[in-house]
Amino acid sequence: MSAVALPRQSSVQRGLVDAYNATRRYLIRGKRQPDIIFGSVLFPVIFVVLFGYVFGSSISVPGGNYHSYLMSGLFAQSTLFASSQVAVAVATDMNEGVIDRFKTLPIARSSILIGRSVSTIVLGLPALGVMILCALAVGWRPENGIFDAILGFLLIELFAFALSWLGILAGLIAKSSQAADVISSIPVFLLGFVSNVFVDTSKMPVWLRDFADWNPVSAVVAAGRNLFGNTIGPPPSGVWSLEHPEITTIGLALIIIVVFIPICVRRYSRTSR
Amino acid sequence: MGSLMTDFAISAQHLARSFGETRALVDVSLDIPAGSVCALLGRNGAGKTTTVRILTTLLDPDGGHAQVAGFDIASQADRVRERIGVTGQTATMDELLTGHENLEIIGRFSHLGAAVSGQRADELLEQFDLVDAGTMLVKKYSGGMRRRLDLAASLIANPEVLFLDEPTTGLDPVARSEMWAAIRNLVARGTTVLLTTQYLDEADQLADTIVVVDRGLVVAEGTPEQLKASIGRPSVVVTLVDADQAALEKVRAALGTDAVIRGRSVSAPAADGLETLAAVVTRLEELGVPVHEVGLEHPSLDEVFSTVTHRLGDHSPDAPAAVPA
Repeated sequence: MSAVALPRQSSVQRGLVDAYNATRRYLIRGKRQPDIIFGSVLFPVIFVVLFGYVFGSSISVPGGNYHSYLMSGLFAQSTLFASSQVAVAVATDMNEGVIDRFKTLPIARSSILIGRSVSTIVLGLPALGVMILCALAVGWRPENGIFDAILGFLLIELFAFALSWLGILAGLIAKSSQAADVISSIPVFLLGFVSNVFVDTSKMPVWLRDFADWNPVSAVVAAGRNLFGNTIGPPPSGVWSLEHPEITTIGLALIIIVVFIPICVRRYSRTSR
Repeated sequence: MGSLMTDFAISAQHLARSFGETRALVDVSLDIPAGSVCALLGRNGAGKTTTVRILTTLLDPDGGHAQVAGFDIASQADRVRERIGVTGQTATMDELLTGHENLEIIGRFSHLGAAVSGQRADELLEQFDLVDAGTMLVKKYSGGMRRRLDLAASLIANPEVLFLDEPTTGLDPVARSEMWAAIRNLVARGTTVLLTTQYLDEADQLADTIVVVDRGLVVAEGTPEQLKASIGRPSVVVTLVDADQAALEKVRAALGTDAVIRGRSVSAPAADGLETLAAVVTRLEELGVPVHEVGLEHPSLDEVFSTVTHRLGDHSPDAPAAVPA
């Protein structure tokens, strides 16, 4: 009876088309919320000024420039904040009727979530650009050349993509956007601050230092520093993740992606069922 | 495609669903022929929305099973989704998108392709009198416009079966009658419609059959006329030109012992329906009183509704009482 014939496509093809359409929708929405983009661009500027100058004036790193040292940390930390924002956005989505409508459409269950995650990365690019400009302004330089620097940013974006799925899961579990904010903020602050983002971990008390050294965010920061050529001193001995930060980052991101995408999609399909 | 083993567009057997301790649906069975309009009538919390959510694959039932457009809602959910349109109680249009963008995205998600989606969006905006609003963000729409856009969105892929969950709740009378006109239009094209409503007049206006649900059970079903007939017989009502007491008394005497005077009207039970009416008209001619209007009045659906939903009392009923056809 359908007057409009459904084009025959494989389910994979259809899934990709669905994910593309969902991403497109979130990008159009993103474009209509310039205040959010403005905020996301302003935030890293504030961070560079706040940590680079306010705290940075009293923090010194042995034999190096603190601003250069700090920037990889801030790049990595911004991915954490972005994942927290995803959590809030997903929780908000789930409480709106529009998700119900999507669920009554013959689309791949994963497409809306993929759209959310990919669009988050894309909409975060202006903020990353501004942050790089700020970094250059305060004296950060990709010492290992442009190729390694691009590799560094790719690693950070891969980590951001993986983290966005943790944010999505938090948003799906939370009953409200406020709850999503709380659920996601706690790990974001713990992982973001108890790490090598701002300071060298060697001066921390032992128990805190162990946490900070093994903190996966520290590995991402270390990978960035390596690739940007901002590393100061050798990694703490016996901490495998900091001795091999690039492999750790890639491996961790892939594990999160492989494990959490199915969990999120399942959770999404079952919500309210 | 579609109807494999049945001519029913929607066929549900013994659907049940609980949320924790709350039994939202106890036992609901429905058979809705293709091309007809069925109204699921009930108060808030009667189980209407739960039924629709199950039939539209949003919710799994705890018990029972159902086919929509010939496909099983559990094992062939995607087939069902390709053939249904759903307009929910809550607004499902994206406020940050224009009307046209909203429709187009639903079209793309229905795998119509970008070009056809855009074309269908144009057609539907025209059909629902939203052409000027097409390029406007939905957050600037009025309540009635949002509902019409929502309805348009559920039609983008020409669904075989359309679900409308309280399509006019919260609308002002003008927007409501516009919505009714839009729904009638669809029905004329042969779409099967299941709508839920708490308004009796809405069910009476739009539906071929009415299923009354109360506390998760079907308590009555039938055509509006059958439901009314099940509750009581019609009465004949004679309205005079003016409230002349002597003339009213004359008419009352003529209509028999059960006749009562209300204002300038006299009403009496019409045991034989139209025959009684004809007899009354003859008598009135003999009496020679100035008559303004004579007619048959059926009991209102309101009476049907309160009768069937109160008949059960506060205790849990054990079987749904169907109205004999």
